Amino acid sequence: MSLKYESQIREPLVNGSKDYHQITEDIVRPIEAKPTRLWYIGFFTAVALLLFGVYSVYREVVYGVGEWNLNKTVGWGWDITNFVWWVGIGHAGTLISAILLLFRQGWRTGVNRAAEAMTIFAVMCAGQFPIFHMGRVWMAFFVLPYPNTRGPLWVNFNSPLLWDVFAISTYFTVSLLFWYSGLLPDFATVRDRAKTKLRKLLYGVASFGWTGSTKHWQRHESLSLVLAGLSTPLVLSVHTIVSFDFATSVIPGWHTTIFPPYFVAGAIFSGFAMVQTLMVVIRKVFGLQDYITIGHIEAMNKVIVLTGSIVGIAYLTELFMAWYSQSKYEGYAFFYSRANLFSPYGWSYWGMMACNVLIPQIFWSRKLRRNLFITFFMSILVNVGMWFERFVIIVTSIYRDYLPSSWSVYYSPSIWEIGFYLGTFGLFFTCFFLFAKYFPTIAIAEIKYVLKTTGEEYKDKMDNLEAEDVEAFAHKHAH
Amino acid sequence: MEKKYWQSFGELNNSEAFQKSSKDEFKEDLPFDPKKGLLEAKTPRRDFLKYLGFTTAAAAVAASCEVPVKKAIPFANRPEDIIPGVANYYATTYVQDGDTISVVAKVRDGRPIKIEGNELSPLTKGGTSARVQASVLDLYDGARLRFPATYSGGKAKEQTFAAIDKEITEALASAGNIVFLSSTINSPSSLEVINQFLAKYPASKHITYDADSYAGLILANEATYGKKAIPSYKFDNAKVIVSIGADFLATWLSPVEFARQYSKGKKINDANPEMSKHFHFESVASLTGSNADDRFLHRPSETGAIVASLYSVLQGNGVTNIKDAKLKAGIEKAAKALADKKGEALVVCGSNDVNIQIVVNAINELLLSNGKTIDWSSTSNVRKGVDADFATLVDDMNAGSVGALIVLDANPFYSWYDNAKLKSGLDKVKVKISLSSKADETTQQCSYTVPNHHYLESWGDAEASTGHYSFIQPTIYPLFKTRQWQDSLLKWSAATNDYLAFLKTYWTTKLIGSSWDKALQDGIFVKDSAVATTTSFNASAVNGAIANIQPPKSGIELRLYQKIAIGSGQGAANPWLQELPDPVTRATWDNYLVVSPAMAKTLLNIDLTNSGQSDSYEVNPPKKVVSIKANGKTIELPALIIPGTHPETVGIAVGYGRDKKVGKTVVDVDGKSVGVNVFPLASVVNGTVNFDISNVELKVTDKKYPVALTQTHNLLTTPQGKRTEVVKELTLGEYQKNTKVILEEREAELGAWGGVKNFREEGSIYKPYDKPGIKWGMSIDLNSCNGCGSCIVACHAENNVPVVGKPEVLRFHDMHWLRIDRYYTGDKDNPNVIFQPMLCQHCDNAPCENVCPVAATNHSSEGLNQMTYNRCIGTRYCANNCPYKVRRFNWADYTGSDSFPNNQDELNNTVHYMNEDLTRMVLNPDVTVRSRGVIEKCSFCVQRLQDGKLKAKKASRPLVDEDVNVACAQSCPSNAIVFGNVNNPESSISKARKDSNRLFYSLEFLHVMPNVSYLAKVRNTEESANV
Repeated sequence: MSLKYESQIREPLVNGSKDYHQITEDIVRPIEAKPTRLWYIGFFTAVALLLFGVYSVYREVVYGVGEWNLNKTVGWGWDITNFVWWVGIGHAGTLISAILLLFRQGWRTGVNRAAEAMTIFAVMCAGQFPIFHMGRVWMAFFVLPYPNTRGPLWVNFNSPLLWDVFAISTYFTVSLLFWYSGLLPDFATVRDRAKTKLRKLLYGVASFGWTGSTKHWQRHESLSLVLAGLSTPLVLSVHTIVSFDFATSVIPGWHTTIFPPYFVAGAIFSGFAMVQTLMVVIRKVFGLQDYITIGHIEAMNKVIVLTGSIVGIAYLTELFMAWYSQSKYEGYAFFYSRANLFSPYGWSYWGMMACNVLIPQIFWSRKLRRNLFITFFMSILVNVGMWFERFVIIVTSIYRDYLPSSWSVYYSPSIWEIGFYLGTFGLFFTCFFLFAKYFPTIAIAEIKYVLKTTGEEYKDKMDNLEAEDVEAFAHKHAH
Repeated sequence: MEKKYWQSFGELNNSEAFQKSSKDEFKEDLPFDPKKGLLEAKTPRRDFLKYLGFTTAAAAVAASCEVPVKKAIPFANRPEDIIPGVANYYATTYVQDGDTISVVAKVRDGRPIKIEGNELSPLTKGGTSARVQASVLDLYDGARLRFPATYSGGKAKEQTFAAIDKEITEALASAGNIVFLSSTINSPSSLEVINQFLAKYPASKHITYDADSYAGLILANEATYGKKAIPSYKFDNAKVIVSIGADFLATWLSPVEFARQYSKGKKINDANPEMSKHFHFESVASLTGSNADDRFLHRPSETGAIVASLYSVLQGNGVTNIKDAKLKAGIEKAAKALADKKGEALVVCGSNDVNIQIVVNAINELLLSNGKTIDWSSTSNVRKGVDADFATLVDDMNAGSVGALIVLDANPFYSWYDNAKLKSGLDKVKVKISLSSKADETTQQCSYTVPNHHYLESWGDAEASTGHYSFIQPTIYPLFKTRQWQDSLLKWSAATNDYLAFLKTYWTTKLIGSSWDKALQDGIFVKDSAVATTTSFNASAVNGAIANIQPPKSGIELRLYQKIAIGSGQGAANPWLQELPDPVTRATWDNYLVVSPAMAKTLLNIDLTNSGQSDSYEVNPPKKVVSIKANGKTIELPALIIPGTHPETVGIAVGYGRDKKVGKTVVDVDGKSVGVNVFPLASVVNGTVNFDISNVELKVTDKKYPVALTQTHNLLTTPQGKRTEVVKELTLGEYQKNTKVILEEREAELGAWGGVKNFREEGSIYKPYDKPGIKWGMSIDLNSCNGCGSCIVACHAENNVPVVGKPEVLRFHDMHWLRIDRYYTGDKDNPNVIFQPMLCQHCDNAPCENVCPVAATNHSSEGLNQMTYNRCIGTRYCANNCPYKVRRFNWADYTGSDSFPNNQDELNNTVHYMNEDLTRMVLNPDVTVRSRGVIEKCSFCVQRLQDGKLKAKKASRPLVDEDVNVACAQSCPSNAIVFGNVNNPESSISKARKDSNRLFYSLEFLHVMPNVSYLAKVRNTEESANV
């Protein structure tokens, strides 16, 4: 008879016989140790990519958007594709932290910190594209509704691009706050363990004077709940609004009412895949297998197969509607520009179909869900597929729209367009490497929560306790 | 009396010594010896501080007051008739190689910036062509010769006019036989000047050389009518027009005049659904053929057989020598139509073969055209050259019997087929003088250049057709040290007066009922020309001619044709013309091999019926290069597949491959000339130049060459159906049966949203806004528009639209605000063609406006969709969301107006050329030059609208149609575009919309509510349009 009932089919969320101290040791170790050779290689590769990206952007700013291969018909290409792609990736973190918190999903604690960090960085990357895709980026502040001396001249509140500005900046702010408030007790832990003055100072400042008092914890808890409550609708709204960029337009292939749910599902899909990609690596590199267990991986794979299938249904619905509407223009966009493998961009549609809909179906098999190699490979494929999805939506719709006279020549990116994309990878991984080195990659405080219910040590102690007879227990504890 | 105070006796007596000393009282010489000069002077000790003070102050002033170099000179004394900011208009005449169009030059602050047609001209009625519109840019061409020079060893030495005149008169005096070689000159006073010159040098003669020769036609007329001339054609009097290879709407003789006449026959309305019928026989798809009601394809060598067959059928016999069944049926059909409309029919032929043209004359005689559709009372003076004269000259030069050659505008060294023989001949001529204004190929062979003015700097007159005089007056002081060629000739003939005086004297007696000033102001003087007269026809040559017509050949044939913009090379150096998409091929910047879809399949291995292959051909600019062997010469050119071309004929445009010295524009990115010169492939047959070549060998190479096309896809029909919402057409039969065909089609499209009548309200959940006051609108009659492209260049000039150069067009970055879309329908090998001018539709419910995050594009209270360039941040969302794809983005710093300096290095020659200070003089100061990173598009010439409103306001009256006109509508030779205030029920636009059931709006069902309406194209055929 156990004091707490636990389902037999649930696996422990933390493996190994860990006590609280051990957890702190495990998670803080990478912060306190010198970085490994591998870290340096990874970090500098990321910085190199970032610098190439900076140079690519420099060229675009100084010489013009003509450095890219966009044209009079295809006004958006890799830029907005990458924007939507990164925003999509930036969905998993908040979903894991907020929605799963509200649903009291204990397993989130192993991955939420890194996932949230990923969200922040992904949104940072995403933000670069709408800013630098502008022809006159130095005038970008025009999109902000600030009082000015030109009338005052306001922004156009009808424009979905303006909604994007608000949606993404709000999302970024809330995610950042959420993430940072979760970091406070952990920073305090690192501060308390600090052996150098500098470390103590920096982590001291970063932890905002956290003392671990009950009052602090109480407020911390309340704040987490409030922010979780705020973030939850944001998870749904951000990609909904991003999808409005397309859904409110008149272009066949963009003008589709199914876009909001379809985009949100796709975003969760790609976000989870990105989390998988990173987790599989981190747990190995930092030896955190006990905290990010195969059970976590499997749980996320389940989300992937679910959202992948939702996206698949959306694709089929679009095709059905294109046929059912009997619109020549929409029909052409879906059946010729996309579904016809032999049309110029047919490959991207079928690449999308394969990566997003067909291949993830292998995760119906428990064995494959729990296979790390397959998981890693799949997580990459999913994001390739999701990149194709955005490319398909953007490029295959506009390159052949209403007037056949304006149908475009074949659009493929220039080196500076690719450079910009690689640069955001550089930015992302530079941030992520710094995060992995200087931040606790797993929420120390939060994982200790779940340790109470699922940790091996806890269970052992409970078993001992239960084996002890009442007299002995009373004797031991009564002084 | 005034009391006088004195200080000395000297002062009292006012002695001479006193006067001197008082005058020089404080005189001190400058402290240096002027003999030694300023720099060697020593500074006296006592003046050291003075010097120091002065030099310091001078240095400080010099250093601190660095004044930016301003190149504009303010009007300290304003010239009487120039008000800064207000344009002056001067009537003048565009003249180039015989092409003569009366124009009005718009001059702003002393600079001509725009050419507009002269509406007083009875021939063109204000119509212009692309080349006329672009000619103002040639004025500011940096490649023009800037001074008279002598050449020795390839090096130019600048001379004064006096020195070079002396040298030339001496050289001419001892030269012996002198030949004055020019392209067609139709200026009566200039011909008089030439005659004076010829009189001064007895052993001299004037030879006319035209690169695009009409010798066949001229000689045929001599044989049958006894006149070595070309009559005036009256296409407007013809109900049935048959053209055998004459591209009369684009390049044949006087296309602007013909386009206007032709459009008259195409104007059709519900009350009177009648129009002319045009049969066209051609080998390579042309603009005129694309406009024809019925087009039949033939081999170039079949031209004679077709003409002979037509003649024979008209005489009641059968078709001879024609194997192709379609062609045979076509000839019979055309002949029947012609026979039905005797006296209202016209047959023209583009062949340069005398025999063929004689038979064409005979056909016209049979049809009673003489005096009706062919007018001999006023002969056309646009071409006078006879090839044999020039061929003789080449022989004479080779024989060493030509002592001096004076060349004006003719450029045989580029365009004569036998370049080697011409070269050896030229080498034997001692004195070679060029009067041309550019260092063209022939000028480079000359030892003296005395460059001529541009026509906008010149005085003169022209006589496009007999009795129709047009005057030329300067609109700007000559930019360079150039001199009008007439002045040069007068100088060399030792005449005392200059050409202006000569011109005035010439005209004083001839201007009946008009004064010199009036004639100059109007730019036009018409000498009472009688009604069309007939000339007796001499039929004796006809039978001989028929017998001499060559039978059709077999194998692959090549036809060399002219493009509407480039002509025989005149337009090659002009960026506006090079970037004007050819209306038929939609290509810019190059010449190429035009092949038919059938030949593409066999030769290039591209099957256009296979969607994969056709897509891959369309979306990738690099096209397969074909090696062409003709007349023993081999050239390589990329191949474009153009339906409407005979399956066994290929075509190449002349006018390309110009020497690099004619301008930066002709230099491609690789440093070579743009395109290839194909004139050497031509030959002389029976004394006339023949541009048709048989026994051509074609071989595909494994090379590819990118061709800058501005339109990739041509078919309106997709697997999902024909996109009839984009552009509508019908046949005359359908229209006559039911004039409401188009209206019913629209009703069906909009039925779900309240039909045509209620669509505006019921198509949206929002209520439409009221549109009080002025509401600008445009209506384009697709039946009148022939696609010539004059409007495109007019738009370039009026709105400072940037030219981006070939590398940028290749990347689909062309900036045209107005384009002419070309669609094919029907038969894949010989399709129907529709041209649709496409510009910003100024939608009332514009999809571009609501997506702009910063409200940079918005709607004016007058219905304009307007761009605020300095608010635009360049997200391009508006361009993506435009269903008409008319918005253009400044991808790079095309105009040099960027906030980042010096970032044009990566751009091409053309952009650099357009940004030279000289070239930029052509910019319209009323229109903002857009900077990099912003979107631009058609503004309905908002600067003209403001101007027009101001005009009406100043006169305190409501705005009327005459107050405003947009540049495209104004330039149109066929009056296809009507513009005005839709809210005024009396305006022509309101009437045009109300009166026609052919009215439609492109993509109307989208409920974007465009302000540009179209009138559907009517084709005079029996077949249904929607096949």
